[in-house]
Amino acid sequence: MPAPGLPVQPPNGPRTETKPKQKEMTKAERRELQERQRAAKQAAKASGEASGSSAKTAAKTAPQGSGSTSTPRRGTRQAENAPRSAPAAPRAVVSARTAGSVAGDSVATAPTRGGGGGGGGLRIFSHFGLQKPFAQFKITGANARCIATLRAFQTVIQDYVTPPNNTLARHLMTHISPQISHLVAARPMSVTMGNAIRQLKLDISGSDIDLPEQDAKNELCLKIDNYIRDRIDAAGEVIVEKSVGKIKDGDVILTYASRREGSSESSFAKSQFLSAGKATLRVLAEAGIPCTYVLLPSLGAIITEVDTIFLGAHSIHANGAVYSRAGTALVAMLAKQHSVPVVVCCETYKYSDGVQLDSFTKNELAPLGERFANFPLTTPHDSLVLRNAPNLEVLNPLYDLTPPANVTAVVTEVGIIPPDSISAIPVALGRLL
Amino acid sequence: MAPDPFNPANHRSVEILVSKLRRRQVVGSREAALETLKVLRQVVSRSRFSNLDQLVGLIRCVGRRLVEAQPKEHTVGNTVRKLLHHIREEYNNTAAGASSSSKPGYSIENFVLLGQFRKPSFVPTSEIPIPLEHDPDDPDSFARVVKPLLMEAIQDVLDDLETVYDNISRGAKDHIHSDEIILTLGHSKTVEAFLKSAAHYRNYTVIVAETGPSYSGHSMARELSSAGISTFLVPDSSIYAIMSRVNKVILGAHAILANGGMFAITGTLLAATAARVHSTPVVVCAGQFKLTPLWNLYHEFGALDFSDPSNVLGFEEGSLVDKVDVMNPYYDYVGPELIDVYITNDGDHPPSSVYRLIKETYDDDDHEL
Repeated sequence: MPAPGLPVQPPNGPRTETKPKQKEMTKAERRELQERQRAAKQAAKASGEASGSSAKTAAKTAPQGSGSTSTPRRGTRQAENAPRSAPAAPRAVVSARTAGSVAGDSVATAPTRGGGGGGGGLRIFSHFGLQKPFAQFKITGANARCIATLRAFQTVIQDYVTPPNNTLARHLMTHISPQISHLVAARPMSVTMGNAIRQLKLDISGSDIDLPEQDAKNELCLKIDNYIRDRIDAAGEVIVEKSVGKIKDGDVILTYASRREGSSESSFAKSQFLSAGKATLRVLAEAGIPCTYVLLPSLGAIITEVDTIFLGAHSIHANGAVYSRAGTALVAMLAKQHSVPVVVCCETYKYSDGVQLDSFTKNELAPLGERFANFPLTTPHDSLVLRNAPNLEVLNPLYDLTPPANVTAVVTEVGIIPPDSISAIPVALGRLL
Repeated sequence: MAPDPFNPANHRSVEILVSKLRRRQVVGSREAALETLKVLRQVVSRSRFSNLDQLVGLIRCVGRRLVEAQPKEHTVGNTVRKLLHHIREEYNNTAAGASSSSKPGYSIENFVLLGQFRKPSFVPTSEIPIPLEHDPDDPDSFARVVKPLLMEAIQDVLDDLETVYDNISRGAKDHIHSDEIILTLGHSKTVEAFLKSAAHYRNYTVIVAETGPSYSGHSMARELSSAGISTFLVPDSSIYAIMSRVNKVILGAHAILANGGMFAITGTLLAATAARVHSTPVVVCAGQFKLTPLWNLYHEFGALDFSDPSNVLGFEEGSLVDKVDVMNPYYDYVGPELIDVYITNDGDHPPSSVYRLIKETYDDDDHEL
């Protein structure tokens, strides 16, 4: 990820400045040594390494930078597509930033606490920063969570020191596994995280034993960067491009709680949006697209005016069923009844091998609490039920399952395919998942 | 100027109800029906009329006024129609008693006539020999005789309304079985009474959808749980997700239409469609006063009412408010194909026989007040 990696540095200041402050000298020395070795060894690859290592250092010294790498990038992507939408940050962006800064704080303190030893306590501690925003739903969304996880693992990998009499390829995974279970303890792993971690395991076990440790670590970080670039960011851009082709001038588009597609619409001045996600709505309205905003229960009143429905996905199953934010299945169902095409936009890395038959398995419950903070309420607040009472339980499932029959097409970065053919994706990608 | 009995504006009670309806101080179909009936009782008891035509004209006139004040409260018109029907029936019974015509028994002829456009079951007073002591010299004699009958008719309708919940809940235990999971929406008093009555006999679980943007599901959930029913409150978005575990969907209605469809609180369409997709039975509890001789074939929200958009997008979203259209429809139209049964205070009826109920309950010439 050379290009996005570079602009990260300025906000964090020059490397030399932050290093003595945040990192221990022994560590810095060690790395300098390794860099010298590497320079001697691979002079030819110097330029490539430089960008790689700069990205790596950025991730290492201040992950808050790496958190915000995704921020400006997402921002610019939307800005490119939808002029004047850049300041209006969708929620995913905002949460990525909070996550990054939290992780950054903890990592900054972690080395001083753990000393040079790199004990188990240190490693867990360094990721407490990610556990909390996951558990508190500060980082939400399949993409944001996956990116945050991968960035955290980059830090873990860089902090990792192979114990004597062991090799990185064999030992690193045992180092990362407890971190994963630590994250899963906060919130069940999303399919996207699972896929990314599987890929990371593959990369780790496949890393060359003869490579010097720092090189191997750099290579792994680069692979993670590439994964984020190829499977998430570039994929997103391709999906936007492809789905724009499905929107005609004057179409009325309906979205539900999804974030990306909207930005591509600004070129279609006459398009009208019927939106059910306030973050999307804000972006669209800023871009000057005529919007109508309704709540989900009122969907029946407007569904007849809609030409196409664009939905996001949390994950997509082998049979083409789409696992997504609760309510998506209702939208798709009503669309099917009214013969409105339903287009699901979904990166291939959200593919999940299993087949789920209903929305109960693997579903999560949102925590109780102030759910109405973001809603205008004319009903008096104390008339609402916000916590459990005798005989009364508040349930808030996060996801539901849209059966493939209600989905017209799935837009992926490898093409627009019918939901029945989803199972062909891993084969087509050479089982990259 | 002499007070004109045909001018309903002369009745203060009418005026009060009209403004209450306009300001939405009277909301809810049963509330509106009760208020209407009380006003009609006052109007009838105070006004002067010398024959049935005048009386019917008077009631219609008041009815029209009230309906115009709030056309979306269909029960107002329904109550007027029902009262007119009762009045004619009482009158005919009296007339029949006087002319001693024999009551027809079962006959094929009746069956054939049922399907046809029904002639007004009374013949205009001027054409039949007035059976009652109608004296042209004493125009009040008619009113004097008829008024007690009228009051009786009104009381009948009123009693119907007041016992409507009890009568609907009577069959509750036959519809809800032990350990069932019931889904309901919003806060319908009828459904609440129905579920509570079933709870005396059965142990079951209710899932209440929040039903935004009014979030009336919250008060429903509280009511049910305080009655000892195990209750779950879920957001509207998870209706589809939980539908696979739901045994029955029990809904309230705002108005039942002549084609068997209904108007009900926003979100009902989603729930009913999801239930249909999962082959879950949809049961609608509604009093007969909600039967409305109206059709809604071509518009998904043609007869919907729109309410305050600030419930959907508040002014705290200042910059957004002037860029975005916000819609907050009050009711959904749910077609007859999505409903399995109407449980009324007069038994259970499939949507396909609603037309017959309407024919029985109202006179054809009252459909337009």
